[in-house]
Amino acid sequence: MTTPTVAAPAPPPAVSTPPSRPAAPNRRRFTVAEYYAMAEAGVLHPEERVELLDGDVIVMAAVLDWHAFVVDWINENFILRLQGRAQVRIQNPTRLNDYSEPEPDVMLLRRRDDFYRSGHPAPADVLLLIEVSDSSLSFDRNQKLPRYAAAGIPEVWIVNRPDQRIESYADPTGDEYATVRHYGPGESIAPQAFPDIVLEVDRIIPAETE
Amino acid sequence: MTTPTVAAPVRPAPTPDSPAPSRPAVPTRRRFTVAEYYAMAEAGILAPDERVELLDGDVIAMPPIGNWHASNVDLFTNTFPAQLYGHAIVRVQNPVRLDDDSEPQPDVMLLQWRDDFYRDGHPGPDDVLLLIEVSDSSVDFDRTAKLSAYAEAGIPEVWIVNRPDRRIESYSDPSGDEYATVRHYDPGESIAPQAFPDVMLEVDRIIPAE
Repeated sequence: MTTPTVAAPAPPPAVSTPPSRPAAPNRRRFTVAEYYAMAEAGVLHPEERVELLDGDVIVMAAVLDWHAFVVDWINENFILRLQGRAQVRIQNPTRLNDYSEPEPDVMLLRRRDDFYRSGHPAPADVLLLIEVSDSSLSFDRNQKLPRYAAAGIPEVWIVNRPDQRIESYADPTGDEYATVRHYGPGESIAPQAFPDIVLEVDRIIPAETE
Repeated sequence: MTTPTVAAPVRPAPTPDSPAPSRPAVPTRRRFTVAEYYAMAEAGILAPDERVELLDGDVIAMPPIGNWHASNVDLFTNTFPAQLYGHAIVRVQNPVRLDDDSEPQPDVMLLQWRDDFYRDGHPGPDDVLLLIEVSDSSVDFDRTAKLSAYAEAGIPEVWIVNRPDRRIESYSDPSGDEYATVRHYDPGESIAPQAFPDVMLEVDRIIPAE
């Protein structure tokens, strides 16, 4: 169940006001409130895996076994080693703004006693965001990354399977990240917020023989 | 009022029990069916006075209607009916259901005459004799996204009243998503619908010199 069903959007959209009209025909962008109303109205199926990115409803790619493995491994390491210093959120939403509510693969969130029960975390709550990318690499890099930067997410990792490396993006300015570093096999990487949590690239992306 | 409110969808409205759509190999924009488009209007996601159409699963917001565009559409509306009454219905800025995920609202259509005036269901491609788009700011969109959708649906003849180039482009003989026969009518020439060769219109009258 990943169609939005839990968190209530800020103002419920009984009837929305029409957005300003474009100068030329343009795809209609949907707000987060309208996105939730779609789920409520059954337009989006309860089991549909979708996310909202810049007003577009995006159907997520099928989860490959490799993708699931990497997410599980990172999840276990963060939970065991952070020991409650941050909240680990797996494939769950963050509300970037009125038009974007993606569901990143992994996020480290500021610890909150209510576990964000009353509302999805905002960009200021995110310490690190990770996308595990195989078939979705170009989408993650070209569509998602600029939106994460624009929202001010401080650090993003893209676990890049095709190139067997982890790309770290930090210092968001405009819709780009000013600092980019690649970590290859043999290297180690740690979240900027938790420099003591060092992960080996070889463990996250084991060498593949094909 | 241009948001869909009347006609019943082709496919039954979605329910939580209907199967979730299949997952794509890469993240992909979610396309909506005509049924889902109507459900959005019903749920108030699309405002009643919002000018939208559904093209290839995308909800398209239409630009404001400029005075040139409105006047041009009026000209067709006022020229056709007297000659065609009893032979063709003139439909202005109203829907045609191309398929399960396209329901655009062309500027002008000549439809097969029907005594019930299509009260029980929007016309389909087979009902359309001629479709006209009056294009000013929308000329690129009309010539690419819309024209290919019309060809694919088998609309037999399309005119694009091209204001920037001051000519009428006539497209006929749809094959695949293209029209095999293209003709441009310039000032000084006359044009007639293939279905009604005796209904001649002067290009100068339709696109006066500015």
